[in-house]
Amino acid sequence: MAPFALVTPATPEEAIACLREGPEEEVAVLAGGTDLLFDIEARRARPRTVLSLRRLPWRTLEWSGAALTVGSTLPLRSLENDPDVRLRFPGLYHAVRAVGSVALRHRATLGGNLGRAAPASDLVPMLLALDAEVDLVGPEGERSVSVDRFIAGSRKTARGPAELIRSVRFPEARPSAYLWQRVRPFHDISHLAVAVALSPTDGRWRVAIAGFPPRPIRLPTAEAELDAPYPTDASIARAADLLARDAPIVADRRASEEYRRHLVRPLFARAVRAAVPASRAP
Amino acid sequence: MSDGSLRLSVNGREVVLDGVPSDERLLDTLRWRLGLRGTKEGCRTGGCGACTVLVDRQSTLSCLTLAHELNGRSVTTIEGVDSDPVGRTVRSAFERTGALQCGYCTPGFVMALTGLLAERERASSFDELLEDLGGNLCRCTGYAAIVRAAALAREELP
Repeated sequence: MAPFALVTPATPEEAIACLREGPEEEVAVLAGGTDLLFDIEARRARPRTVLSLRRLPWRTLEWSGAALTVGSTLPLRSLENDPDVRLRFPGLYHAVRAVGSVALRHRATLGGNLGRAAPASDLVPMLLALDAEVDLVGPEGERSVSVDRFIAGSRKTARGPAELIRSVRFPEARPSAYLWQRVRPFHDISHLAVAVALSPTDGRWRVAIAGFPPRPIRLPTAEAELDAPYPTDASIARAADLLARDAPIVADRRASEEYRRHLVRPLFARAVRAAVPASRAP
Repeated sequence: MSDGSLRLSVNGREVVLDGVPSDERLLDTLRWRLGLRGTKEGCRTGGCGACTVLVDRQSTLSCLTLAHELNGRSVTTIEGVDSDPVGRTVRSAFERTGALQCGYCTPGFVMALTGLLAERERASSFDELLEDLGGNLCRCTGYAAIVRAAALAREELP
């Protein structure tokens, strides 16, 4: 008794046609499957059709100058093992390593993490700080949206019913850092996480925090408080105060609001200091 | 609803399976269709690493992988670990350091470490190797000997 049909289209067009047949709530998209199969096992998801992306040609990693485009079905472990990613996007490297375990990352993908939009995603905050764009393909052709607009809430995205995430684009390499706090250092869910990045083009910082519902968010007021490109201790302290006071941090079953507000200050300060030395490199 | 024949290479042997349901996990295919009970079911939610096998020499959680998603690919389980030169070294290192108590997590640890050491093209520290083993749990908490096994295997490999 198999509860769903597994469909493995060979082209994006066939995949989109399958999604159009719908109905929307009965078709689940499978990239690596590490999150979807978890939900199916727990009967939180009961799709009639599972659309596997494994035959689509999206397991790619392409550089164009300092810009990086990651195909949506590239396993996270391949992203992490690319020496240029580690060098040019240090925050992304550490965010990827914060996801599950090595064996999980051999299957899990960037597209899957975005599409599933878990409230405590370790990748979304870093994508926000890197101003990443999501490339979608659908019946009406292609379009791109910022990650900020793509993530619509807890487990909600701006993906249309017949659209697929084809790739994620990072416009420029940035000095960056990603730090988290959890019970187990690896293979656990972050209670709180901080992503920071410095844009070499506009000279401004990006700050995002995550780990609590409904979704990871940017904090423009804290960003504006940080001196750029080299923040003084005083400006780090001012920005940290703003974060601890004003960020829309809430409690959930994993951690209290008070604990998270306490954590955000040191994590943020350490993240900024971890990102800065790279920005002084030639 | 089955999804046509499933072709896998398992421990170097070609197998063709009919009637495998589309929602069957690789873990169940290995244990209940192929009788390879060395691969253990722990949490069944990707949290413990007991079900780790190699797919094309990469560590993979067999509980979170649909068998049909691996059509045409090559799977190595603990039963086939000796046919992999890295796997043989790792297995032997676990034996010589006595790196097991109840043994339930051992196949997962051996496969995970084999995958990691086979993948080592980039230079990486022993600390990073241990971080990378963080997806495997030992409920006996016998980690000290497992760390010794990892150090020994790493030392013995070229």
